[in-house]
Amino acid sequence: MNTVIRRSIKDRVIKNVYIYFRIFVQNLRAILEYQTDFIITMIVAIITQLLGFFFLHLVFQKVPDINGWTLWEVLFMYAMLYISGGVSSLFFGGLWSIGSLVRRGGLDLYLIRPVSPLVQVLASNVGMNGLGNLVTGGIILTHSLMNMNIAWSVQKGIFFVIFLISAVIIRTSIIMAANSSAFWIRSARNTVPFLINTISDFVQFPITIYPLGIRTLVTMIFPYAFIGFFPANYLFKDTEFAVWGLLTPLVAIYCMMMAALLFKRGLKSYESVGN
Amino acid sequence: MIRKIYISLANRSMQETMVNRTSFILNIGASFLIILSSYYLWKAIFAGRDQLGGFSWEEMKAYLIISFLSNTILSYFSEVKISQKILDGSIAFDLLKPIDFQKARLAETVGSSVFEGLVSVVLAFLFLFLYEGVAVPESPITWVFFIISFILSQTVKYGVIYIFSIFCFWTTGFLGVALARAAVTSLFSGALIPLSYFPSTLQKICTILPFSSIVHYPISIYLERMDNIEILGIIGLQAFWAIALWFFGKWFWSQAVKKITINGG
Repeated sequence: MNTVIRRSIKDRVIKNVYIYFRIFVQNLRAILEYQTDFIITMIVAIITQLLGFFFLHLVFQKVPDINGWTLWEVLFMYAMLYISGGVSSLFFGGLWSIGSLVRRGGLDLYLIRPVSPLVQVLASNVGMNGLGNLVTGGIILTHSLMNMNIAWSVQKGIFFVIFLISAVIIRTSIIMAANSSAFWIRSARNTVPFLINTISDFVQFPITIYPLGIRTLVTMIFPYAFIGFFPANYLFKDTEFAVWGLLTPLVAIYCMMMAALLFKRGLKSYESVGN
Repeated sequence: MIRKIYISLANRSMQETMVNRTSFILNIGASFLIILSSYYLWKAIFAGRDQLGGFSWEEMKAYLIISFLSNTILSYFSEVKISQKILDGSIAFDLLKPIDFQKARLAETVGSSVFEGLVSVVLAFLFLFLYEGVAVPESPITWVFFIISFILSQTVKYGVIYIFSIFCFWTTGFLGVALARAAVTSLFSGALIPLSYFPSTLQKICTILPFSSIVHYPISIYLERMDNIEILGIIGLQAFWAIALWFFGKWFWSQAVKKITINGG
């Protein structure tokens, strides 16, 4: 009995992943049709990141550290933020279209199909800027890891992988929760998701430079600090925050559950626009 | 008669921003978050130092506020509006109207900037009030020069936005174009980091480009880095760029419009 249930869950997951990739590939093809756009978005994403890198480079030419953090240490957090953002907009860019799906009734189409609406939403858009962010973020991360003296151990290695996965989950979950606000705020210019996304700017730098209010905001309410800051403390900063890094996977699970709950609640309260 | 049309366009666009208050306030909120984060970042960078890159901490705070104003007054909305007209094809109707497209969009931009500018200025003063010790120019004549220079800087910025928006004739989305403009402007204008932090060759290149008129020059005037003759020279330079970009935009537009093919109607 138990094995039957387990098998059916497994089948469902496999089926959903398969469908997700089918839709994803379709959308990817559509985007690659418009080559100018694709190239522009990619290049712009890379340029924007290089600007941030350039900024840090210039600042660190004048000062040796920011609040005790060196260039490579700051770049680690920076890279974690961009990698997680990159993966999330490349593979789950569809979350940003929840608003227009709700307003224009496009969600109706998803609801009548015998596939999870969330899977369809996730795959409904491919943010090509994500690829740019992912590539430059990856390069910066590799360089920062190579330029720091980290006392690697098996445990740290495992946690590093967990941190990367958690970062993507936290980032994506916050984006999903923020965009689910569109179920209740029907305005065509719902900027709540953008505002919440902007808050992530704070965690490009050690959060110890901010007053308590901002620290609480990025730790407790929108836990962006678990993307780079706390993992960095665990991996190579021996501070009081190092132990917080161990909480990262739990925070990721919590974020995922909250996002799923909000999305579900939103779907329940969704009424078609009726056309 | 014709001027009346532009005034009513500006008026309508101002009312539009007032209707979309919530989103506008959230938008301003987002840029306020950005200035907050850069405030604390720079505070940490300046920690224990009187002077860095040619700025005192008091001057740096003024720098942050002015570049915040310069970033928010001409908003994202006016930028999106021009691109959107090109992308969704409603530009066809504008071409039928006996109004100059460039002037009409300027009128709309000015209109929406009245309300948005007011809120940005209020926020800037709030910031001044919350974080004391911001450098303020001593002589009243500096204020006059600064305000003239700031208005010119926004005109230059409009010129840049207009030219970049025209690129939408060749693309299918506006985000890439808007972000590219933001990146280029923020680097070369001094909004990202004061130009004095750049290596000297790059600094020289920046002073030749029009972007330094947007943030770098108004701030240099505000911080009283120059004598009156130099200031007049700079205001002249800004005026030159404002006019040059306007006419370049006009020419570029006339080239781009040839590309339009209208299907059906």
